[in-house]
Order: sequence, then C-alpha cells, then structure tokens
Amino acid sequence: MTEALELLSIPVIRHAFLGMLIAGATLSTLGVVIVSLHLMALRFTLMHVGLLGAAAGMSLGFSATAGAFVLVPTASVLMGTLGQRFRFTASSMTGFFMTGSLAGAFLLLARAGVPAMDVFGIFAGNILMLTRVDVVMVGVLGAVVVLAFVVGYREIQAVLLDRDLALALGVPVEAVIAGMFLLLGAAVAIALRLVGALLVDAIILLPGIAALRFARGFGSALLLSSLFGTIACVGGFVVALQFDLPIGASAAAVSSGLLGVSALVTRGKGRS
Amino acid sequence: MSSADLLNDLTVRPHPDDALCLQAVTAGYGSQPVFDRLSLQLQCGRIVGVLGPNGAGKTTLLRLVLGLLAPVSGTVAVLGRELRNDADRAWARLRIGYVPQIQSPTALPITVADSVLLGRWGRSFRFLKRPSREDREVVHETLALVGIAELAERDLATLSGGQRQRAALARALVRRPRLLLMDEPTTYLDREAQRELVHLIERLHQRLHITTLVVTHGLEAGWRFDRTVRLSGGGLDD
Ligand SMILES: Nc1ncnc2c1ncn2[C@@H]1O[C@H](COP(=O)(O)OP(=O)(O)OP(=O)(O)O)[C@@H](O)[C@H]1O
Ligand SMILES: [Mg+2]
Repeated sequence: MTEALELLSIPVIRHAFLGMLIAGATLSTLGVVIVSLHLMALRFTLMHVGLLGAAAGMSLGFSATAGAFVLVPTASVLMGTLGQRFRFTASSMTGFFMTGSLAGAFLLLARAGVPAMDVFGIFAGNILMLTRVDVVMVGVLGAVVVLAFVVGYREIQAVLLDRDLALALGVPVEAVIAGMFLLLGAAVAIALRLVGALLVDAIILLPGIAALRFARGFGSALLLSSLFGTIACVGGFVVALQFDLPIGASAAAVSSGLLGVSALVTRGKGRS
Repeated sequence: MSSADLLNDLTVRPHPDDALCLQAVTAGYGSQPVFDRLSLQLQCGRIVGVLGPNGAGKTTLLRLVLGLLAPVSGTVAVLGRELRNDADRAWARLRIGYVPQIQSPTALPITVADSVLLGRWGRSFRFLKRPSREDREVVHETLALVGIAELAERDLATLSGGQRQRAALARALVRRPRLLLMDEPTTYLDREAQRELVHLIERLHQRLHITTLVVTHGLEAGWRFDRTVRLSGGGLDD
C-alpha cells in the first residue's frame, strides 16, 4: 500500500493514474449511448479516422495526437449530421468514412515519407507519456460528458428511446445527436491516447454493455457504466503496477472480465 | 393530485376552430407525391378514424399534422393556426399527443414511468428545468387511468404489446393534448386486447372530449368513430 502511494508520487505514474481514473469514471457512460443508438460500427470507424488524423498531423509537422484530436471529433459530427441529412444509416456512413480515411492515411504517408511505424504507434497508446496538459484535457472532457448527461438527461433519453417521438415532442433532435457524436469523437480521441486504438473499447464500450445487463432505467445504466469503467481502469492500473504489465492491456483484461462476469450473473435476462 | 383533478385537467372545453384543416395539400417524399391536393377538415371534439391499406399515406398524414413533413403546396392548420414556421410547429406539437406506429423494443433501458414522463417535455420541463413532483404525480395518475399503475417501475422493454400501447397512450395524455393522434394502436394485439384498448380509448374520449384521430387499416377491432375517412390513391373519401 505505502509502496503504491510512493509510486503515485512519481509524476508519470500519477498522470497515468489520474487519466485512467477520470476516463474510466466518465467516458464509460458513452457506452450506453453507443449501444442504444446502434453505433457499434461508428466507434470502430473513428479509430480508423484516428489513424488518418495521426498521419495528417505527422505529415503537417504537428504530432500524431494533435491530428487525431482534430480529425476524430470532426468526422464524428460529420457522420452524425450527414447521416441524418442524406438519410444514410449510421453503418453506411461508417463504411464510407472507414475506407476513405484509411485510403487518405496511406496516401499521406506515401507522399510525406513519414515512417508508417510511427503512425501505427497510435494503435498502442502511450499512457506513460501523458503530460499534465493531457490529464487536464481528460478532466475537461470528463466534466463536459457528465454535464451533458445532467443538463440534457431527458432530451438524450427521448432521442435514444425513439427519434420520431422526440421530434414530435419538439426535442431538438439534430442538436442532441450532433452533441452525442461530438462527445463520442472526443472520447475516442482521448482513449486513443490512453490505451491505444485497439483497446478503446475497454473504456468506452465494454463497461456500458456490462451496465446494460443490469440496469432497468437510464440513470442506473449511466451510474453502473461509470462504476464498471472505474473498476476496469483503476483495477487494470493496479494489476499492471503489481505484476509489471502494460496498463492499457491490463485495463482491457479487467474490463473484459467484468463483462464476462456480468453476462454470467445475468444470463437469461440481459438485454445487450 | 387526485384522479378527479386529473380528469378535470385533461378535459378539453368546446372550441369553435377546426381541430385540423388541410387545404389542397400536395406532399410526399422525394419526387413521388403521396397526396395530391388533399383537403380535410375535422371539427373539435370528434373521434375520427383514418382508414386505408398499407402505404396509403396514413402515417404521412400524421407527420404533416405534426409538422415533421412540410407540404410541397397547400396549407396545414392545427387548432386554427396554420403551420408556416418553426414557431407554429412548436406551438402545435405542444398541443398534440402522439402515439407512434409500432413501439419497437428499444435498446435503451427506461422505466415505464420515465418513458411516460417524457410526454411532459416542453410542457413543464426542458433542458435545465427538471421535472417537478407534480409532473411525477400526473404520470402516476395517468398510468392508473390507462390501467397500468402497477407497471410504473418496470423496464419498458419487458412489457407486452398491449401494455406498451397503454404506456404510449399515457405518454400522449400527460401532455394534456387538445388533439390526440394514434397510429395503428391495435396492431400486434390479440382480439381480446384490441377490444379492451378500443374500449379504453372510447371511454377516455367520451369523458375528456379530446379530438382524437385514429389511424387503422380496418374496423375489425370494434371501433365506433364519429366519422371515418378513407385514404387511397393520393385522395380521400368520407
Ligand atoms: N421516409 C420515407 N421516404 C420515402 N418514402 C416514404 C417514406 N415514408 C413513407 N414513404 C412512402 O410513402 C407512402 C405512404 O407511406 P405511409 O407510411 O404514410 O403509409 P401508411 O398508410 O402509414 O402505411 P402502413 O399501413 O404500412 O403503416 C408509401 O408508398 C411509402 O413507401
Ligand atoms: Mg403507417
């Protein structure tokens, strides 16, 4: 215990811990939105857009992270609004964006002569390189996510329940959806930085799915996904330190384990 | 709030304007019109059936009334106010209770009470303003009125088809609507449940005088409307 506290006095470790704690407690609630709006394909596409962002950032002389940070939320909002305007389903939109961004990434890399391996570094994340500024960004996004659910609780609920009904009630459906897509994009960009593209789901999807196995209402789904997200991220962090393992992978392992246990406990009555 | 208060609250006083007035409305999706110069006038206080086969445009008619679809030409007026701009549409939506076609099970976990509470959106709460205790009381009384008070805390997705229709009706009623639009409320119900729902809707209409428009593709469920209109081929017969 004292040993763990001592470790936390090292800035690198402290930043990593705070980043994981905040992301786990807040960004995980977006999993409930992903499942309810059937956006499984979207968050997968956003990972690929992250790759394009990284390639663009590096070819333009910024960092890979900066590129991903600009591009992923932008693409997310575009997919949300274009999808509504042109009446594409979210999954058709994602097909277009996924292939398009991969093509763009490879073309950029070829042109700019950036070593591909540097860009693919985004798949692994780099939590032990988290700076104070990064931690502040995670904190700000986490606060915005929580605020969005507090302020727009009923509106989000209405849109997730039935879009046509929400329109008929007068809820500003387009704005709510654009907001959700923006937060999702930002969350994926942050999670890329924390645990890498391949493990984004450990933070923003699996805790939400596990929560939906138990929850009977919207509020309890959000609270439970936050709880599961915290357990996965903090638990993963502790396990990683204890056994000298990579943090992202440990968190993903705990997250998957949690989902497995939830599935077992709720077998026969789960909904997701 | 007692159930007598609720009934008084919901009761609509007589009103001289037409509940609904469509004049020479042409509307549709893309280049294919569903309605060609359709006109329809409905007096306040009636219960009216809109009949027609699949694809006749029954749902489209409701979308026009809700302002979710703009006519290519012609005018739509709700409770005496023509729908020209966003403010008109918002005004109309506040006064309409809408029961959409098919309440497909949702991936969202939501209690029955919460789903009904959403019907108050825009009426008594929105964004920063939270639902009050009175809102919750209205929800409870209304659930009792449609006969599913004991299901208030159940997950909406676990309800039977008939129970879900009652919840949707309650959600429309908590808005204190002047106009009630129901899109095929009896589909997917067995004979017995159909008859019970029809009976409930007719009883509520007799008691509350809310102008009610029921879309249905047939009269088998035992409907007794004040008037029926039949949609077919872009036009309408009484
Ligand atoms: N979103 C849409 N885009 C394009 N065409 C549509 C759309 N919605 C409906 N239509 C078409 O408009 C016509 C009328 O549809 P509508 O849904 O109003 O019929 P309906 O009478 O409600 O049918 P049902 O009994 O099956 O519910 C149909 O030919 C349908 O294919
Ligand atoms: Mg229809």
